[in-house]
Amino acid sequence: MSNQVNNTEMYITGAPACPGIVIGNTSLYQRARPHVSDTQITDDETEVHIHKFYEALDIAEEELEALLENTDMEDLADLIEMQIAILKDPELHNRIEQEISANNKPVDAAIESIFRNYLQVISENHGETFQNKSVDISDIRDRLLQIIHNKRDDIKEGAILVARELSPREVISFSNRNIKGLITDRGGATSHAAIIARSMNIPTVVGTQRATEVINSDDEVVLDGRNGEVVVHPKDETREKYKSLIEQQFKRQADFESLCKKPNETSDGKTFSLQANIEFAEELSIANKYQAEGVGLLRTESIYLSRKHFQNIPQQVAFYKSILELTTPHQVTIRLFDVGGDKFFGDEGKEQNPFLGWRGIRMLLEQPELLKNQLRAIIKTSEDFFGRIRILVPMVSTIDEIRKLKDIISEVQNELLNEGIDIDKDIPLGLMIEVPSVALKADLFARHADFLSIGTNDLTQYVLAVDRGNERISNLYDQRHPAIWRLIKEVAEAGECNGVPVSVCGELASDPIAASCLMGLGINTLSMNAVVLPSVKQVLRSNSYIEMQQLAEKVLAAETMDDIDNIFSNWETKE
Amino acid sequence: MIKKKVTIVNDAGLHARPAAALVKLASKFESDFYIHLYGYKVNGKSILGVMTLAAEKGAELELELDGPDEEEATEAITELIADGFGEVYEDGNE
Repeated sequence: MSNQVNNTEMYITGAPACPGIVIGNTSLYQRARPHVSDTQITDDETEVHIHKFYEALDIAEEELEALLENTDMEDLADLIEMQIAILKDPELHNRIEQEISANNKPVDAAIESIFRNYLQVISENHGETFQNKSVDISDIRDRLLQIIHNKRDDIKEGAILVARELSPREVISFSNRNIKGLITDRGGATSHAAIIARSMNIPTVVGTQRATEVINSDDEVVLDGRNGEVVVHPKDETREKYKSLIEQQFKRQADFESLCKKPNETSDGKTFSLQANIEFAEELSIANKYQAEGVGLLRTESIYLSRKHFQNIPQQVAFYKSILELTTPHQVTIRLFDVGGDKFFGDEGKEQNPFLGWRGIRMLLEQPELLKNQLRAIIKTSEDFFGRIRILVPMVSTIDEIRKLKDIISEVQNELLNEGIDIDKDIPLGLMIEVPSVALKADLFARHADFLSIGTNDLTQYVLAVDRGNERISNLYDQRHPAIWRLIKEVAEAGECNGVPVSVCGELASDPIAASCLMGLGINTLSMNAVVLPSVKQVLRSNSYIEMQQLAEKVLAAETMDDIDNIFSNWETKE
Repeated sequence: MIKKKVTIVNDAGLHARPAAALVKLASKFESDFYIHLYGYKVNGKSILGVMTLAAEKGAELELELDGPDEEEATEAITELIADGFGEVYEDGNE
């Protein structure tokens, strides 16, 4: 389209926050922190400025009320309600009126200075814990200033939006304008804005560092939300390549939804169960769309880390409830906090080898209050959800740990029963299989557990002695390694001999061919990131169990990673 | 005029959501409502004011109510605070 010399194709990357590919023209979004006027107004003008202030309040409130109607996420509703309360704040009204009429400040400067005072006092009194909420306060200030400056944000319908960073409110309001995709300089895949983008299924790449520097408005870009890649000024052949990918995706998407309604069984009738790994309730919209049979791994770390107040049992209960209510009638497997000591105790807890250190159940047993609070919250939640909760223990490495944990669980059960709470006394207790010694002696551990769940991410790094965060050796890290298959086989057999179900909740399960191998090894419950459910299901449904067993035999006999690659690509092209 | 002391019991303290709930309730009453804490005095119907207090769990607030419905207002507001604002789970950011 454009023949300017500087429009050469360029790639930038960020973190993938919501999958999907889109091609389109960009709109650059600049959050208006417009230069507020530094002039003084005359006494005659003050009334007009006060009037402008109240007009802006009305417009902003109407917008928020409209957003409130369109959101069914509870925490977002809370956020919007808080912003509405700010707009209605009588002290704020007084002070801004005062600033205009007594100090002859124009309306924008008055808003700026009064909000600055509030934000300053709030941050002094709260310290850093309040950071999150102060973002929402400055966000509403900026919206008022935008309205007053009558600033159209120049965002075109159907554009791909490029911004430094986005607040949750901004993401929702843009989604109402058919934004095709989002690209930001800052933020991670677990930021609140990213989670909302995901729940609304807007392809998103975050944390590119420099998108707003290198992209201008109306530039053509390709956004690949699967791997976090953005192509600016794509060449014709690049565009064509992505166009055909989009077409394929589009077709697949339609196929996916009908596919997901079909039964979970192989072509020769062997059944399986696919579940979702999640961290936030918002992720359940995709999981439910793809008919996940419950949650095979509910991570609880971010909830704790994002709030210093997770000792609050009612808050925990409300969180677990929100997940269980959205997954009826399936089970939810709650993994106990799986973090290292440094997350709780700062530098004091820092270790040389945190992945081999004081983490998971090792730490929890030495922090009885933390552990008991979490168990209490989980078990209390069971009063409304009999038979639907399972507890998963991370980083188990000795049988003694299981014994100790069981003692604490019965202690908590008794406390709750004595308080007259009707709890589920038979919540299954499962072990994460991620420490090699446990995998090797899975038969002994299985006797002490109700189920086993293989966490291939950590198991792989422990077995292969490869730090999965170390880029220099990342080529050595592959969950499909022959040694891993051998260990998984042992665990699967140990489970079967002891009548203890075995599932896999690591990334390995999200590779459709690897999932077929797992089936072949006799593991028919797999839990994965919800977005890959359809592609796994498709492959499992279109092959027979016998073929999968043959495939499993092949990977078990493989000597090298090259062998594995060959086996996988042959399987892929066999049809 | 009524003055009454009440202690914050919810773990999260008087953060955004509880502050919004408090202001919403207080605004239903005609009486003037002020909160005293650590030498500060803020308008209890102002969410920004309430948030500047940064009242944490265990903080003892002094409520000051003045107006025709001060008794009902005192009772309702005390109950809300003593109940820990019926605190439910609130998602945090990153």
